[in-house]
Amino acid sequence: MSDNLEQIFVKQLKDNQNIIHKICRLYTNDEDAHKDLFQEITIQLWKAFPKFRGESKFSTWAYRVALNTAITLYRKSTRNVATTSYEGQKHFLSNDEYNFEEEEQIKLMYQAVQQLNDIEKALVFLYLEDKDYTDISETLGISEVNARVKMNRIKGKLKKILNP
Amino acid sequence: MEELDLLKKAWQKDTHKFEQVSEGEIYKMLHKKSSSIVKWILIISIVEVLFWTAVSVIWNTDEYMRKIHAENTIIYFKVVNFINYAVILWFIYRFYKNYIKISTTASTKQLMYDILKARKTVQYYVWYNLGMAALTLIAGFAIQFLFNPKMELLKDKIAHEQDHILLFKTLGIMLLAIVIFVFIFWVIYLLLYGILLRKLNTNYKELKKIDL
Repeated sequence: MSDNLEQIFVKQLKDNQNIIHKICRLYTNDEDAHKDLFQEITIQLWKAFPKFRGESKFSTWAYRVALNTAITLYRKSTRNVATTSYEGQKHFLSNDEYNFEEEEQIKLMYQAVQQLNDIEKALVFLYLEDKDYTDISETLGISEVNARVKMNRIKGKLKKILNP
Repeated sequence: MEELDLLKKAWQKDTHKFEQVSEGEIYKMLHKKSSSIVKWILIISIVEVLFWTAVSVIWNTDEYMRKIHAENTIIYFKVVNFINYAVILWFIYRFYKNYIKISTTASTKQLMYDILKARKTVQYYVWYNLGMAALTLIAGFAIQFLFNPKMELLKDKIAHEQDHILLFKTLGIMLLAIVIFVFIFWVIYLLLYGILLRKLNTNYKELKKIDL
């Protein structure tokens, strides 16, 4: 039974691992830390898995545990300076469809997001994942109105970082 | 905001090129040990509870009281001891309840609140024990002063002095000893939990600020 559960979990996680990579990428600044956080999130997901009832998609359920691990449980400081030394950065979000100018803008924007604090990053992450404010407020445990207000402030902050 | 929406569009297309983790690697990860702060708080808390429980159990005063012929006080210590055990049990129960409530599937704010609450219970336990230790020290000093024959000379001097300088000196030394004792523990805890919970505290404050 537990072997079976383990199999299901491993399969689900493997198929949805990009969500976790995205969070790790956002909250760490080198590859070792990325792997370390990925492992901790995996452990926490596995511990919480028996509570997963399949009412929501695995990915939706995984957001919460993964974000909680990155923000709350992970011991090493995740506060970091924006860095481009990360090898993954080079390939990050590159797509032939984009023109060079757009790609530059996206990169700069991503670097700006990395300068935000842990909570702001979580809001932006959920926003980028196209979660609505109901989801965001439930995940973080703040009111919907306040989530909206905060998101607008973050947009202002990002603008300032991009155009000092 | 135009740039953020550009990023969102690219983000949604899922064009991230992350090195993929294989099933085998995930299996291996499942059997590794977690290093989450909850685990550390649990370990430290258990050590604290064991330490302070041991201190209050081992601290046997009966024999010493007999030695200095203060048997009359033993009954008071027995009562205090009894209350002490009840309090210890209550704290252990509270801590256990708090600990099992911590869940990563709760909202971020709730999770942080639960962790901080679990830690606070242990912190109160430590303060309670420090308070008891301070009280024991005061009682110890008082009993020494009243019953220990070696104190006769000091008592005699205090009784005959006019300006009470010696009395204040004695009280001062006693107070200083207690203050230093409590202060050392306070610094240890500040360092221990300060380091462990700095990030969590910052993030919790940030979340609370949003929801004001």
